[in-house]
Amino acid sequence: MIMTEPIRRKAEKEQAAPKPAPVEAPEPKLEDEMVLVGRARQGDLQAYDDLVKRYQERIYATVYHMTSNHEDANDLAQEAFIKAFHALKSFKGGSSFYTWVYRIAVNKTINFLKQRKNKAHMSLDDIDFNAEHDPDLVALVSEKTPRREVGLGELQEKLNGAMQKLSEPHRLVVTLHDVQGLSHEEIAKIMDCNIGTVRSRLFYARQQLQAYLSDYLK
Amino acid sequence: MENFEQLRKLLTLKRHEQPPPGYFHNFSREVIVRIKAGESGETAVSAWWAWEGSWLQRVWGAFEARPVVAGAFGVAVCGFFVAGALISTDSLEAGSFAVTTGEPQAATMPTQLAVSTPSEHVAEVALPNMTPAAAAASSTDGSLFQQLQQMQQQRPVSSLVGYEGAQPTPQNVLFSPSGK
Repeated sequence: MIMTEPIRRKAEKEQAAPKPAPVEAPEPKLEDEMVLVGRARQGDLQAYDDLVKRYQERIYATVYHMTSNHEDANDLAQEAFIKAFHALKSFKGGSSFYTWVYRIAVNKTINFLKQRKNKAHMSLDDIDFNAEHDPDLVALVSEKTPRREVGLGELQEKLNGAMQKLSEPHRLVVTLHDVQGLSHEEIAKIMDCNIGTVRSRLFYARQQLQAYLSDYLK
Repeated sequence: MENFEQLRKLLTLKRHEQPPPGYFHNFSREVIVRIKAGESGETAVSAWWAWEGSWLQRVWGAFEARPVVAGAFGVAVCGFFVAGALISTDSLEAGSFAVTTGEPQAATMPTQLAVSTPSEHVAEVALPNMTPAAAAASSTDGSLFQQLQQMQQQRPVSSLVGYEGAQPTPQNVLFSPSGK
């Protein structure tokens, strides 16, 4: 069952969420991060708590965009961090901790989706207040679009529905690149494939999405 | 080159999807609580898959990433089966050749028959009823089965099957590889 709510209006401007910028891979504070990883590996849960806080939003967002289900994303993101804690001894530092946890979360999500197969149902997060003022979205629902009477809520449903039609690898590249703003190189490391594969999957995924959403695009 | 500009704008909608306010305030604490409770982050199925299937996952991942490798592996498997079939056919033909040459191998076939009980061999050598003309027409490949059939037509079954203590003797059997 799809659950959507009307866009919630904040009573006070101070409560409005800031406009989300494209999520980029952080400049890793390697020394600081490796210190935390070293302590966490020794069983220091406070250190691991700090690591979780650094990456929880990005990991949750990736899993949510893959599943379009808030509850599943919550469980999978937490389980990914729990699994990462128990696997810390196998983290050799060849990549950043961020990339390593990302890979765990992505593999866990893909395995979950393969087991779920066609029994998916969406449970969408709300769209924040600032979406109405996003120039890209305003242009999309302006008079010039084919379906100008469509609201953001319906657009959200259609977009998530179209994303769910993609295969997991194609959905993942769109999520990591077009939604979260990661580079091709970073995506290749996370997905353990070469950059050419990332580019070809991205192109194919965009073609598919464009076909599914043609009614809502110019 | 396709223009995905409109699609890119639509995908920005995904960035505005946010979990409930305060969701992340408790997220890390819940993770730590679950770690302390002894959870491993794996379900029973995923734990099995992680343990037993890790090598499978690596192999499958390699095949997905490099289809050429998958194709080469398939060709290798098919080639293995074809080679096995060819080798087994060759060994069968080598055995049938030995029957005609009187070589030591020629004695093995009748000897093998001789060591079994007569009742078993009655079943084994119970050849289908064929007229000599039909047998001659069908025996074109010189297989051992066809040769035994011809031998049966020349001699009774009891003389082919050896009883204990009987000395098997090689038989001259007409064999033509070309089938003529």
